[in-house]
Amino acid sequence: MDKQVTITINGLAYQATVDTTMTLLQFIRDEAGLTGTKSGCENGECGACTVLLNGKPVRSCIILALEADGAEILTVEGIATDGALHPLQQAFIDHSAVQCGFCIPGMLVASKALLGRYPNPSETQVMEALGGHLCRCGGYKAMSEAIQSLKQ
Amino acid sequence: MAFHTVGSNKRKIDGAEKATGATVYTADMRFPNLLHIKVLRSPHAHARILSIDAGAALAMSGVVKIVTGADVPGPFGVAIHDQHPIARDKVRYVGEPVAAVVARTEREAEKAARAIVVDYEILPFVQDPLAAMDPSSPVIHENMMDYKTLPFVRRVGHNTYQHFKVRKGNAEQVMQQADCVVEGDYYFPPAVHVQMEPHCAVAKYGHDGSMIMYATTQAPFVVQTTISELLEIPYGRIQVIAPFLGGGFGGKSDITIEALVACVAKHVPGKFVRLLLSREEMFSGATHGRNIKAHYKLGFDRAGKLLAMIGQCVQASGGNADYAINVLTGTALSGSGPYIVPDLQLDVYGVYTNTQPIGAFRGYGHPEAHLSIERLMDEAARKLNMTPAELRMKNLLQAGEANGIGQVMHASNGNVRECARIITDKLWGQPLPKAKSHCLVGRGMAAYMKTPCMPSNAQSGALIKLNADGSLTLSVGAVDMGQGLHTALSQIAAEALDLPFERVLFKTSVDTFSSPYDWQTVASRSTWGSGNAVLLAAADFKRNLKTEAAKVFATTPDQVAYAKGAVSFNGQEIPLADFATGLRNLDGTAITRPFFGQGNFVAQGVQNPDLDTGQTNAAADWTFGCVGVELEVDTRTGETTVLRLMNAIDAGTIINPVLATEQVAGAMLMALGSATSETIIFDEKTGRVRNDTLVDYKIPGIEDIACQTEVFFVQTPEESGPYGAKGIGEHGCVGTVPAFLNALRDATGLDFHDLPASPDRIITTLKGGEPK
Repeated sequence: MDKQVTITINGLAYQATVDTTMTLLQFIRDEAGLTGTKSGCENGECGACTVLLNGKPVRSCIILALEADGAEILTVEGIATDGALHPLQQAFIDHSAVQCGFCIPGMLVASKALLGRYPNPSETQVMEALGGHLCRCGGYKAMSEAIQSLKQ
Repeated sequence: MAFHTVGSNKRKIDGAEKATGATVYTADMRFPNLLHIKVLRSPHAHARILSIDAGAALAMSGVVKIVTGADVPGPFGVAIHDQHPIARDKVRYVGEPVAAVVARTEREAEKAARAIVVDYEILPFVQDPLAAMDPSSPVIHENMMDYKTLPFVRRVGHNTYQHFKVRKGNAEQVMQQADCVVEGDYYFPPAVHVQMEPHCAVAKYGHDGSMIMYATTQAPFVVQTTISELLEIPYGRIQVIAPFLGGGFGGKSDITIEALVACVAKHVPGKFVRLLLSREEMFSGATHGRNIKAHYKLGFDRAGKLLAMIGQCVQASGGNADYAINVLTGTALSGSGPYIVPDLQLDVYGVYTNTQPIGAFRGYGHPEAHLSIERLMDEAARKLNMTPAELRMKNLLQAGEANGIGQVMHASNGNVRECARIITDKLWGQPLPKAKSHCLVGRGMAAYMKTPCMPSNAQSGALIKLNADGSLTLSVGAVDMGQGLHTALSQIAAEALDLPFERVLFKTSVDTFSSPYDWQTVASRSTWGSGNAVLLAAADFKRNLKTEAAKVFATTPDQVAYAKGAVSFNGQEIPLADFATGLRNLDGTAITRPFFGQGNFVAQGVQNPDLDTGQTNAAADWTFGCVGVELEVDTRTGETTVLRLMNAIDAGTIINPVLATEQVAGAMLMALGSATSETIIFDEKTGRVRNDTLVDYKIPGIEDIACQTEVFFVQTPEESGPYGAKGIGEHGCVGTVPAFLNALRDATGLDFHDLPASPDRIITTLKGGEPK
């Protein structure tokens, strides 16, 4: 069954008729053409596909596009504004937290949500925010340090 | 030697692209009229294929083509031609491809794959390496003795396709005279790479007989060669492009899904076809690593001098073994550890089993051998009443001593004793932390040695192109899979050409049409091999530049000076940029010709391994190091917390300390995954992988990192490396597992001989039970 949805991604509204089984991840990558958000497992187990839905981190591979109808989505492509890197992105680069890069889009949006909620997150809060986000390169410590470096 | 760019922590050249989601990985590429492949995989570990009925599936909506083993060539291989892109006649593990469906959408392809009816005659299967060696076990490759092989394959028969012997002196006899003998069985179970990016390949076979492929590969030139041989497409007509990789760890080396995709593409000429593996398929339809059972015996004299070592390693190589066979070479070359072993007898066997094929996995056969040796060194130390460090210090290799394969170490190979000294000081130099209630604390170490383990003719190339703004574009055939190679090579080029780092640009995707040839990006060989090629290219570039500049200056090339991006002679100076578009005479006639800098490197004097004695110059270089672990065990839950994790490594000159540290620390974390949670669980009844999800196969998360991780670099310049550098990507995996288990033994008295030392197994054992 097909249904029409409107999903706002990084400030732009995308309208499409979608199959009711289409995931939000598929909508973002295939309908909106924003391939920054990655598919690592399609089971909600790796965190690579994390986006912010109305400000909250969600695994876009286990949410239907239908469920996101009318929602505001932020993906990795929407973090930098006016052509300038967000301080979080710069911190990830400066702390050498970016290796193969495949988990980074999910890590960055989850970190952004964390800092939005707790501008001075504790180590435990960082661990909770990035828990369940897998990075096989093992860059967790660098990511944690990158986030901590932005404490106000 | 003072450097301006080498040794500094330059930011990764691809950091901003990756941090903004702009980097295009293979699965992010869009193609016109793309068709999708889904693979029907064997549900049986060992079965004969009696018939395949694809009639109903072919009639389904969106289905374009169904390809089975009968439609594709095979067998193929490099060392041993024992695999088919799609199974023919027999399946040898659960997950082996049986048919490939090409359809308009992935979903249509998947639906149709389920509608294919395959009739199997189910055969008994065997998964344990030792059981598979037993003559009573089912034979997996009936025609093994007839397969085409390279000369270094020594088939024994039944399921044993390889036997590599290392022989030095008379270990059996010397062992009898030893004052202290320790021995034991050790098992390094299968491990899965779990790159966050699943395998993906997109190919199109052109009506003109050409093939283009985009793939998640560490080995675009191997893919090119293999496809050429398999499909009889002229080598030059195959273009393989490797964009950024989302992790490799060995799992994207050699050839993986690309053979199947190429074969399928040939059946739908003119169309792009894509195969993207699901996470479950990454467990069942891709290579695994490790899976070696070993028995080692070490004999010492009263003073702790290692007299003799006898080892037997048996790898369960899986349903085919073209890649596993080379991993065995890694085990054989490193199978005596970083020690002086006067009398050595080592037998390394490769055995077919009804499991996923073993392939390269970070460490390449070395962690498996080190597990046995480094656990036994600790046991011997206890027996001899010495500390683990004392016993190792008495036996570690040093310049002038021969290693297990008879290569005499020289100073440039590195200083393992210094590495061990650092770890001893750092680990035991401070008091043992006070254990929390219900907790036990302990410490352990492990020394290690690693060779790149590659063919004697493994080549690397580099090309330097001059741009009109005076910047340079560097291109190599080696892939950046996240390890930071292209950044390190840019630093080497900037150093060699006396330019700011920012003026060196990089062609980041490797393309077999235009990139210089490179064997493959494996074996921690690329900073060393490609780095050498970059140095040669820089020298060639300067030579060509001076030749052209001499024409302008009306002098000879040797009179031209070069510094900081400009040539000069007699007080006149011309910037590099001017040569990009060419200099002219006043009347407009051209003076200078355009030029590249090119460099091609191959190691000199490396020989094929000798399978009867192992005594050959088979390793291009060696790297030494030592790991230390301090951990805490909660006796109520069995959970371990690594308090301090440290590695002292002599990897020569370090090009970029931050990136190098990330490599060593990342590899150690990966090894901690093997030590504490990762293993494949095969279903006893069906032989399938039971834990094929990221929940059931648990890799380390942020909660699992050590409280403190430290990497110490002992920088003995490597004679054969660029600016004295050598590889660093795999080494953190080599000694970490035994160091962890030694620390666990120290804390609890529990003596794990296999993996993982998971909380439930620790609890069971603490309560006096047998770990399951």
